[in-house]
Amino acid sequence: MKSRKKLVFWCSLLGLILAMTMLSDLLATQPVNEMDLDSVYSPPGEGHLLGTDHLGRDVFSRLLQGGKVTLAVAVLSVALSFVIGVIYGGISGYVGGWTDSVMMRILEALISIPSLIFVLAFQAVMQGGMWGMTFIIGVTGWFTTARIVRSEFIRLKDADYVKMAKMFGTPVWRILTGHLLRNSLPPLFVVTIFNLAGAVFIEVSLSFLGIGIPPSIPSWGNMLYNAQNDLLIGAWWIGVFPGLLIFLTILSINFIGEALKNSGRRRFHA
Amino acid sequence: MTVKWIGKRMMLGALVLFIVSFLSFFIMHASPGSSATAYYGGNAQTLTTAEKERISEAFALDRPLIVQYGAWLKQTVQGNLGVSAKEGRPVASILGERLPNTLLLFGVSMFFIIIGSIWLGMTAGMRPGSLLDRGLSAFSIASSSIPAFWLGILFIYLFAVTLGVLPSSGTGSLGGDGGFVDKIKHLIMPASVVVLTHVGLYARFLQESVKAEIGSYYVMAARANGVEEREIRRGVLRNAFIPYLNYLGVTIPSFFGGSVIVEALFAWSGLGQLLVKSVMVKDYPLLMGGIMLTGLIVVVSLFAIDVLMYTLDPKLRKGELGG
Repeated sequence: MKSRKKLVFWCSLLGLILAMTMLSDLLATQPVNEMDLDSVYSPPGEGHLLGTDHLGRDVFSRLLQGGKVTLAVAVLSVALSFVIGVIYGGISGYVGGWTDSVMMRILEALISIPSLIFVLAFQAVMQGGMWGMTFIIGVTGWFTTARIVRSEFIRLKDADYVKMAKMFGTPVWRILTGHLLRNSLPPLFVVTIFNLAGAVFIEVSLSFLGIGIPPSIPSWGNMLYNAQNDLLIGAWWIGVFPGLLIFLTILSINFIGEALKNSGRRRFHA
Repeated sequence: MTVKWIGKRMMLGALVLFIVSFLSFFIMHASPGSSATAYYGGNAQTLTTAEKERISEAFALDRPLIVQYGAWLKQTVQGNLGVSAKEGRPVASILGERLPNTLLLFGVSMFFIIIGSIWLGMTAGMRPGSLLDRGLSAFSIASSSIPAFWLGILFIYLFAVTLGVLPSSGTGSLGGDGGFVDKIKHLIMPASVVVLTHVGLYARFLQESVKAEIGSYYVMAARANGVEEREIRRGVLRNAFIPYLNYLGVTIPSFFGGSVIVEALFAWSGLGQLLVKSVMVKDYPLLMGGIMLTGLIVVVSLFAIDVLMYTLDPKLRKGELGG
């Protein structure tokens, strides 16, 4: 019961953040790129709820709009890696045999490489906007998903109902989607939640370093790009608020994932 | 430890490095008009035609991509990583300058993470229901949810700007003597950021396996027979340590990825910062070399962990679990 309350709490927090960023067009008090050079670095307070940055842009408005970009990149890239992971792991697990061992050796090798390395290799050549970033995080983030899909498929493909379905001549694609994939969804869901946290991490880190989303598009990461210099002159609000929102978002995603993982474990071992 | 086992592990390591090189090479060189000039080391104007031809022949720059990759592989195996496109110096010597700093940061933070997480995990796990036991998982989730670079920014603000006790960035003071004490001072902040954002994760993992161990029959039997608590503690740690090591191995790649970002934030002049920089200026030979060296460090660490596990785990030694 207690853990259920926690789950509700973190879901609502995440929901609130999502809702605010999605409604950014309504809630934002100023256009995100509107510069007001008369009031650069104004502290939080009247006129600017959370202050302004070094170009006099409203931090609150940029925070909402930036959240939309950051979260959209994260969600879309996770969706992409979900699809790749399911296909790769599905083939490996269902076909089995020689194909499986080759695919698994490759996957083992891929897993032991910091995925950030591939992200950097991609970034060096494409450095596109939002879509580029989404693509890069997506194609470098599917390894764990594939491993889980594979082990679930192997576990499930010998189940009686799958054998029965085969006996009745159910088409392969229906066995794959209707039986195997559908029954692997609970553990897949958990891993996807954690992937989401990872995707937010990568986007904000790269954009912060100036090699992620281009500066013309506000995202939580590149709002922090200048934060280091801003702090030096005492403008703490520019760095603190985006960071705090990133932290709360990742925190709620992690707590939700944790709660789902535990409830899954309890159900399986009950 | 059998020769066969070592051979198998090394093969796997080589396979990893091969895949890393293959993928990164193709990702980087597939883009049109990118890399050929990069290999001239930014000296395209000053190089003579003969020199250009020599480089171009060594790296097969005018041939299809797969031949280029073969040439690159051959040169790399022989120790020629090419010339940096921006600095005009051999990639190998640039990497050589950076490597000690990265290993220092990696080694020091890993050391404190292991010590800290074993202490925290054991203390929490051995006392179920205590404050530490209940608080550790929340701490672990919270600390691993903080973006390392943001924690770093806050640290810089607090310790460098406000308190002025630690240098804000770099590997050594400008005009300083470049001595050991100076380096350590610069190391404190980046290393603490890495340690703080990771220690909870590992501590929590150990805590959970310790809890599983103390619930098992051998511990109950030992306690019932009046075995000293210190002895029990030792036995429990020994058994919980193997999955912990395994977890360490699984997470080392992402750990290394994280320290790239910390290096870049603190301008710690190591490999990570170099990688980020070479992405920015599109210095392909340097990036390729940096990626390979990072891959090598990860592969070697994984190998070391495997060896350690092999020596500690009798089951693995007897080949019951397969090598």
